[in-house]
Amino acid sequence: MITFSNVSLIYPNSERTIVESASFSVNEGEFVLLMGHTGAGKSSVLKLINGLVPHHTGGILTGEISVAGRSTRLLKPGELADVVGIVGQNPTNGFVSDIVEDEIAFGLETLGIAPDVMRKRVEEVLDLLALASLRRRQISELSGGEQQRVAIAAALVTNPKVLLLDEPTSALDPIAAEDVLSILHRLVHDLGLTVIVAEHRLERVIQFVDRIILVHGDGTLELGSTTHILQNSPIAPPLVELARTLQLPEIPLSIREFRKIAPHLENAMQAFQPNSVEKDNEKVLTMKKVFASYQDAERTYALSDINLTINAGEIVALMGRNGAGKTTLLKAAVGQAPITSGEIDISGKNPARLNDQELISYVGYVPQEPTDLLYGHSIQEECELSDRDNAVLSGTTLKMYSELMAIPSLKAHPRDISEGQRLGLALSIILSASPKIVILDEPTRGLDYEAKKVLVANLKRIAHQQQRSVFISTHDVELVADVADRVIFLADGEVIADGTTRQVLTASPAFAPQVAKALPHTQWLTVAEVERHIHEVK
Amino acid sequence: MAVAFTQKKSSPWSQTFDWALRFAILAFGIRMMIAVLIGVPMPGKTLFVLPQVTLPDLFVGIRVGGPVTTQRLLSGFDEAILLVALILLFATANSLSNPHSLLRILPKRFYGLGLASVISSSVAPQAARAIVRVRNARRLRGQKSRGLRLWRGIALPVLEDSLERSIDLAASLESRGYGYFPSPTRYRPERWKFNDTMAISGAIYSLLLVIAFANSTLLIPILISFFVLTPVLAS
Repeated sequence: MITFSNVSLIYPNSERTIVESASFSVNEGEFVLLMGHTGAGKSSVLKLINGLVPHHTGGILTGEISVAGRSTRLLKPGELADVVGIVGQNPTNGFVSDIVEDEIAFGLETLGIAPDVMRKRVEEVLDLLALASLRRRQISELSGGEQQRVAIAAALVTNPKVLLLDEPTSALDPIAAEDVLSILHRLVHDLGLTVIVAEHRLERVIQFVDRIILVHGDGTLELGSTTHILQNSPIAPPLVELARTLQLPEIPLSIREFRKIAPHLENAMQAFQPNSVEKDNEKVLTMKKVFASYQDAERTYALSDINLTINAGEIVALMGRNGAGKTTLLKAAVGQAPITSGEIDISGKNPARLNDQELISYVGYVPQEPTDLLYGHSIQEECELSDRDNAVLSGTTLKMYSELMAIPSLKAHPRDISEGQRLGLALSIILSASPKIVILDEPTRGLDYEAKKVLVANLKRIAHQQQRSVFISTHDVELVADVADRVIFLADGEVIADGTTRQVLTASPAFAPQVAKALPHTQWLTVAEVERHIHEVK
Repeated sequence: MAVAFTQKKSSPWSQTFDWALRFAILAFGIRMMIAVLIGVPMPGKTLFVLPQVTLPDLFVGIRVGGPVTTQRLLSGFDEAILLVALILLFATANSLSNPHSLLRILPKRFYGLGLASVISSSVAPQAARAIVRVRNARRLRGQKSRGLRLWRGIALPVLEDSLERSIDLAASLESRGYGYFPSPTRYRPERWKFNDTMAISGAIYSLLLVIAFANSTLLIPILISFFVLTPVLAS
């Protein structure tokens, strides 16, 4: 279906070849995962398949790529629209209409399909993606998962032979992600569609895919069976790491396979006794009976009767579905979301009453887009501006940054460094004002496993050594298992669970990390815990 | 305009009406100020006298300051209202419809034009939202710079944000074959309804009446055309 023969790609003004003499082919009806570090070139490979690279983005392409017998070098992406559908990283940016049904029909309109055929196709796709009840809704009112489904429907409606998706689950909660992936799985099986997905969160996709293309980052691509690639890959989901730690003979791809390979393990390892240390520290953030409403006042409360406390030196994760009110709650904690009633208190102060200068020494906030914070032209300038803004000794921010991670280059523009490095820069700017609590909103959206490990280590250091509180909202179950001491679960603007990470995560199957699912009768959450236990036993 | 003002402000483009209203008020204020300060001498009852600035001979007939007459205020007011009406009419049209829907209606040969106008008309509302977002984020960084420096800092990410959205939209249109296939069709074409006829004919009649009253010699031909037009519109 897709054939790369001797393909090389380089962008102008870039020193690195993105792809170097790659040759492989993907068969009809295969589900293939594109895997690699951030910035390795996954998106570029994906866009090569429908011709957006190089026709839309520029770049020099040699070799031949053929999709369903057509050459993407000769044809423009628009001329491939009837065989390839693509769903970008931010589907909201690509929407053309405001109503679900119109958006889905748009692709058919441009292809010039007759209206009666069009009606039928739209109905089919609405059913296929379970969107029939949303057909007349405004797209902007839908949740992230629903929008993702609309984008997939809009790409599928033209009956393409190949569907390309760039990080389809990165903005979704675990349940919505599962929904989207099982729909893709069904399309591959029922319609013989060829699906190629670029994704960081391997634990979500690995069980569905047939083969993996590993993008090494030095230009080489490696296509192989899932088990073969995962055996040697530096990037692996927790389940595979668990199998490596336990030295299992095979690499399991799903929880079910793991249980088949290692049935005796559960009995051999006695249940983990969590060393619960009740921290009786000073309270940093307290919310009492907080209510907040939406701007259009027709919907129910955005936040309803929120009561919570966060202590010094504690890492608390805030979880919940898309649209459960997580961002509103975080913004309320820094006084940026107006609350209708209730009390918010950070170390004895009301954040809404503090002026900007006072606020930053109480609370630091890293927004969903860390770039919103940055305005310098180089890392050096950024750090100097931060020293001035925070009124600290010059060099403080830079020192903070070098403690977090290896600094790329002082002259590098903050927009040119990797996502993880940018997050680190934003975090060190926030930290240099030495706030009592650090709040992070969805910090792991574009981060690979390596960058996540660095983030986890840093957050633990901030909380456990410097005795600051960390409050983090995320969909990433594995991150929560790794880093959080306590989890607060939000649904429909209400706190429905508040307890230790172990209690909350093991209580709900959808939000359980892979290790907990694989070893259900133990209390382990992460591979690191299992590793530590094995050491102790020895 | 009343519809635009009262409707739910949920979509990004519908917020443009509020911005336009502010802009219109500002334009009105500036125009009235100019009417009071600068202008040619006009007859009428003198309301008050401002100190007059003597200008070089080059600007014959133009005065800065001087007596303010009712006539001068009225003519200034007329022009200011005209300006406000123009801005609000444009904003109403803009805020009641998604600029993107223009893309679906435009014929194929206007592909480039449509794309350009959609991208430019959707930049303003999106930028407005991005500005709010970035400004809030900056406050949490304790940014001290004010004025020009502050705006330079905000403009950069906002522009980048809008540019990225526009590129994404163009890529989405491109990969969905927009402008490539010979004869696009319409899914559920909008039907011409009775209400549409009423609205259009109402607009034509009132326009004709205004012309008729302004120029009485045209009254009779226009009245005749009423009788000709009505059956045409009714069919």
